Amino acid sequence: MTGRVCRLTGDESFCQRIREMGFGEASLVTKISGHTTSLCMVNGTRLALNHDAARCILVEHLPAGAR
Amino acid sequence: MVGNPNCGKTTLFNALTGLRQKVGNYPGVTIEKKIGEAFSQHGRPMKIIDLPGAYSLAARSPDEAVTRDVLLGRRADTPQPDRIICVIDASNLERNLYLVHQILDLGRPVIIALNMMDLAAGNGTRIDHAKLEDELGVPVIPCEAIHGRGLVELRLAMSRAELPLARHSWDVPAPIAAAVAELQASLVDTDGRPPLIARAEALLLLTDFDTLGVAGSTPLSARTLGLLNVWHERWKGQGTDWSATLIKGRYEAINHLCRDVIRRTRVSGPSLSDRVDAVLVHSMWGWVFFGAIMVALFFSIFSLAEYPMNWIDGWIAALGTWVQSAMAPGDLRDLLTDGVIGGVGGIVIFLPQILILFFFVGLLESTGYMARAAFLMDRPMSKVGLHGKSFIPLLGSYACAIPGIMATRTIENAKDRLVTILVAPLMSCSARLPVYLLMIATLLPSETVPTATKVGIMLGMYVLGTAGAFGFAWLFKRTLLRSAPALMILELPPYQPPRFKEILRQMLERGWLFLKNAGTIILGISIVLWFLTAYPKHPDPAVTADVQIAASYAGQAGHLIEPLIKPLGFDWRIGIGLVTSFAAREVFVSSMGVIFGVEGAEDDMSPLRDTLRSATWPDGAALFTPLVCVVLMIYYVFAMQCMSTIAIVKRETNSWRWPLFQVAYMTGTAWLVCFLVYQAGRLAGY
Ligand SMILES: Nc1nc2c(ncn2[C@@H]2O[C@H](COP(=O)(O)OP(=O)(O)OP(=O)(O)O)[C@@H](O)[C@H]2O)c(=O)[nH]1
Ligand SMILES: [Mg+2]
Repeated sequence: MTGRVCRLTGDESFCQRIREMGFGEASLVTKISGHTTSLCMVNGTRLALNHDAARCILVEHLPAGAR
Repeated sequence: MVGNPNCGKTTLFNALTGLRQKVGNYPGVTIEKKIGEAFSQHGRPMKIIDLPGAYSLAARSPDEAVTRDVLLGRRADTPQPDRIICVIDASNLERNLYLVHQILDLGRPVIIALNMMDLAAGNGTRIDHAKLEDELGVPVIPCEAIHGRGLVELRLAMSRAELPLARHSWDVPAPIAAAVAELQASLVDTDGRPPLIARAEALLLLTDFDTLGVAGSTPLSARTLGLLNVWHERWKGQGTDWSATLIKGRYEAINHLCRDVIRRTRVSGPSLSDRVDAVLVHSMWGWVFFGAIMVALFFSIFSLAEYPMNWIDGWIAALGTWVQSAMAPGDLRDLLTDGVIGGVGGIVIFLPQILILFFFVGLLESTGYMARAAFLMDRPMSKVGLHGKSFIPLLGSYACAIPGIMATRTIENAKDRLVTILVAPLMSCSARLPVYLLMIATLLPSETVPTATKVGIMLGMYVLGTAGAFGFAWLFKRTLLRSAPALMILELPPYQPPRFKEILRQMLERGWLFLKNAGTIILGISIVLWFLTAYPKHPDPAVTADVQIAASYAGQAGHLIEPLIKPLGFDWRIGIGLVTSFAAREVFVSSMGVIFGVEGAEDDMSPLRDTLRSATWPDGAALFTPLVCVVLMIYYVFAMQCMSTIAIVKRETNSWRWPLFQVAYMTGTAWLVCFLVYQAGRLAGY
């Protein structure tokens, strides 16, 4: 499942950090697995996010083939 | 040497300096600066500093703060480096260049080591390093640190007398330029910073609100702080997020740069790591695998270790017999057989098990499984208010709490870090292994007992310790160290084949440390303990050994504490072991060796477990009943019996308050749980 990050909310210093890690607005993210803890692929790296962290990242779903 | 976590800085550092600092395939292995020396092409010595990995100069955790402060020259103990080697992971160029971009702001000579070229090639990424060098204007050296490729070129670049400064044209967004200039001036004038460093620091202070908050840095002058506040307030009023703008600006510059540098030769499908991860972090198979590793570990500890253990046991017994026959009876002979051989020998036989434990830990660390374990554990950890990252220090504490506690420096939230430090020593460390093994051997001496039973008991102790750690973390997070649940982002590196040479080296290092401890601390304590059991001499020289020891200094001290531990089923002799093993847990085994060796018959060199089994209370009742063996193991699961841990907690928390609290709560819990188990066991008829 691939989406595009549209907005980061919540804790400011956390948002700054994930932007610095290349996970900012407009980046593409693929969710690989996980329910409460998610495993995502961003720019070729696997990043684990816990539930609260994942909730800070709002993603719009991309229709299949839109990449 | 700076760079993102896990990009191979330490591997490169080791290759350049010949040192053997710890390397592992997970982010956050190096947590303190390490200094080494290398020689330039012309034989001139160069001091090299290996720094903890960081994603950005805007540090979020104590280990990243070390890197930031060394680079900005904020640390009193380290002069600002003359040159900076930026190590970057070629398989993830854009993100790694972010930190480089910040570092170029510092205006220092920079060399870029483009590491992990093999991984990049494997992903189908070709990097035009000459182009990158052209664009940035600093030397870019492609290398593969683990294969030793590119080292010569890197050393050559480091040896150059003059390094070009980066052609680094990057404009700070206009609206914050004024603020940067003002703050920069203040940092130069009142805080004595060099101008370019001041500019970088001003950028950081203005856009990262945490830069001030992380401990360990020199405080800023009042004037700078005042200015900073004014700007923060003004921006808050305007509602613009300048830090986001700045990050975006940097990434735009980087993307522009990379457009001509990176060429993807093919689009790669799911990698091998992805396919392995589909199983190892699966919500069910992941746990099955985790459990299987633990069971495999303990099975090897019991079955594989048996042979080398029997040899060592045989040699020690032979040595004891030889000393006994070669020397005239007397105190010196007793000191050697009972004190030295009984004490140190009793502990040395556990060397194989310790090595096996470290072999497994090494496997987990070098393959990349550590980060997966953290991922898997995030859910249970979140139930107690911590997150998965805290599990990496806890898992490390299975080997030894000291590196485990140091590894908590990667945890961002100060309270979570403290909670992790407080509970880390509850994870059963390698020093408990000899105690558990001795007690299990005493409990189940028969050869016919299936290994599975022993493994089960051992696993039970580990589970008990881990559950204790989780339980207390839950308690502390709700009472003493309350804080909102922290957010976790953790990078899972690609799997690597285990590096057996590295693992073997770490095993030998730990094994050597264990032997060294046995030869120094444990030897010392054993000798002192022997004297305390041998003196003062009973007025009647004909008394039996057990009367003599009861009247000795050690016996008197033991009897003094006996009332305190009798409710747990322990007698004064065990009490002496509890006290001496306060230095380190394995000392319990050597102390038992000394005490029961002194007491034993003159020429008795039987294994300690048999000696323990025949020990009795004065009324003839057996001392080491199965119940007492179990209770004793439980005591060691919980009790804080390690001087080095206390010292490290004092250092990491900067106060005596936490280590003392830790001793009190852990040993208090140990007593209470043992009391309940022992009394309940008695009532149940054991
Ligand atoms: N494939 C490949 N792996 C490498 C290379 N260099 C280092 N590694 C591996 O990358 C992992 C991380 O290496 P470290 O040297 O510990 O990395 P670090 O940058 O010091 O990591 P931190 O101290 O955690 O920031 C280890 O498993 C190394 O074996 C390389 O050139 N190619
Ligand atoms: Mg390192």
